[in-house]
Amino acid sequence: MKKNGQKAKSAWCKKAVEAIQKNYRSVLVILGFFLLWEFSVVWFKVPEFVLPPPSAALKHLFIKQADANYNWPLHIRTTLQEFILGFCVTAVLGIGLAIIFVWSKKVKDMVLPLFTFINSLPIIAIAPLILLWMGYGIKTNILIAFLVSFFPVVINTMTGLDSIEDDLLDLIRYLNASKLQLFIKIRIPNSLPYIFSGLKICSTMSIVGAIVGEFIASDRGLGYIIISAQYTMSTPPIFSSLIVISLAGAGLYWVVALAERLIMPWAFKKEQKG
Amino acid sequence: MGKGIKTFIKNAAPKAFNFLLFLVIWQLIVVVFKIKVFILPSPIRVLQHLFYPPIAAKYNWWLHVGATFMEVIVSFVATAIAGIFIAVMICWSPVMNQLLSPIIILFNSLPKIALAPLFLVWFGYGFLPNILVAFMVAFFPVVINSAAGLMAVEEDLLDLVNYLNATKAQIFIKIRIPNSLPYIFAGLKISATMCVVGSIVGEFIAADKGLGYLLRDAQAFIDTPTMFACLFLLSIIGLALFFAIGQLERLVMPWNRRREA
Repeated sequence: MKKNGQKAKSAWCKKAVEAIQKNYRSVLVILGFFLLWEFSVVWFKVPEFVLPPPSAALKHLFIKQADANYNWPLHIRTTLQEFILGFCVTAVLGIGLAIIFVWSKKVKDMVLPLFTFINSLPIIAIAPLILLWMGYGIKTNILIAFLVSFFPVVINTMTGLDSIEDDLLDLIRYLNASKLQLFIKIRIPNSLPYIFSGLKICSTMSIVGAIVGEFIASDRGLGYIIISAQYTMSTPPIFSSLIVISLAGAGLYWVVALAERLIMPWAFKKEQKG
Repeated sequence: MGKGIKTFIKNAAPKAFNFLLFLVIWQLIVVVFKIKVFILPSPIRVLQHLFYPPIAAKYNWWLHVGATFMEVIVSFVATAIAGIFIAVMICWSPVMNQLLSPIIILFNSLPKIALAPLFLVWFGYGFLPNILVAFMVAFFPVVINSAAGLMAVEEDLLDLVNYLNATKAQIFIKIRIPNSLPYIFAGLKISATMCVVGSIVGEFIAADKGLGYLLRDAQAFIDTPTMFACLFLLSIIGLALFFAIGQLERLVMPWNRRREA
């Protein structure tokens, strides 16, 4: 038992070392990018309102500034709330509706082209309309985040549910499987890679929706900070907000990727072998 | 050619019919339930605002459509040229690949639309910042798709060509670029939508013309029909660009068209 545990541990270590070996160059390049930015701003004496160094952005985030005093925890919480709720609603409704649509072939044939069409439209443009209907607040921004990220999830899930090998379907029919069994055992597991790629798109899109909603009208949130900092031409808070937004987006993306690994380990085992 | 038009009509007719049906149902719902104009205007009301606007909502449509259209087109062409060029560079030199790829992947996952107010601070408002926002939003999908296409060449084919002593330029012109065309066009289609999104958000934040500006302006006056007219025109701009890319795709890759037939 103990030996087994050790083995698992060493395998885990090996994996970590492999990951570092694989990624250290990218990390170095990205670190180099930020260092270059920091030093070139100091070296060329770029005024702060044009381009603040990354360190100034961090300073604004953690240390209270006299000239730009924002209630960071409140704003960060608001945006995170909108963004995460928007993502969750999209994930649940998107995947659920896709399953319902694909249940009947007729509905699917009707809905899929329509949704693909809508997806090619600039959906964000209806943000002012939603504002007009709902007034401003967290709900409006959640709805905007939802509308912007909904279609990629539905389309991906429907495509995944629908792309089953014909041979497999024949076999299942031959075995007299019920429609429910077909969905649970074949269609849904098969669509998981598509669903996760849809959710990854959704994780970036829902933050875009939340931020644009806050741009247009709100009294709190990181989008609000960005806009009000723009009026006063104080760029460091803009960059601080950008850092937080990026981290939030990357964090959710990472959670989705982790869930993908946990829910469908077989896809990653194959990767290792090959 | 005549056959092409015929099949086009055959394909488009059901879609046009569905669209008309949708408009009729919308009109009926608005009329039957007596929905107030400022909540949901009927399609006829929207058209009225577009062609015979009341005095309170007399906008210079040509000016606004022209501004947005120019932004979308210029940013789209810029993303296409710069995106494909950088993808070729990444694929050409491994050093460039290692330097640029991590940064491009990093930026691709960031919500770049949040940079829009920053561009405003840097460039003031008008044409340029909106194009830059659209460019930032739409650029990365083009690079990533094109680079993926350029890299996705069968090893066997490369071996063969190496055996035949082909130069690097020949490999690019004869193998990699033709092979990457489907990927490039997929990237351009994403870019077309993103360019419209970027221009609109730029205009939301600050502009004195363009459909995004008009949307915000009409929203301030609770002029819902004008907002719907803007959305309608925006969709047409997006779809026209989409259609143009589709036609270009057919022109550039005739072999694909033959396969379709």
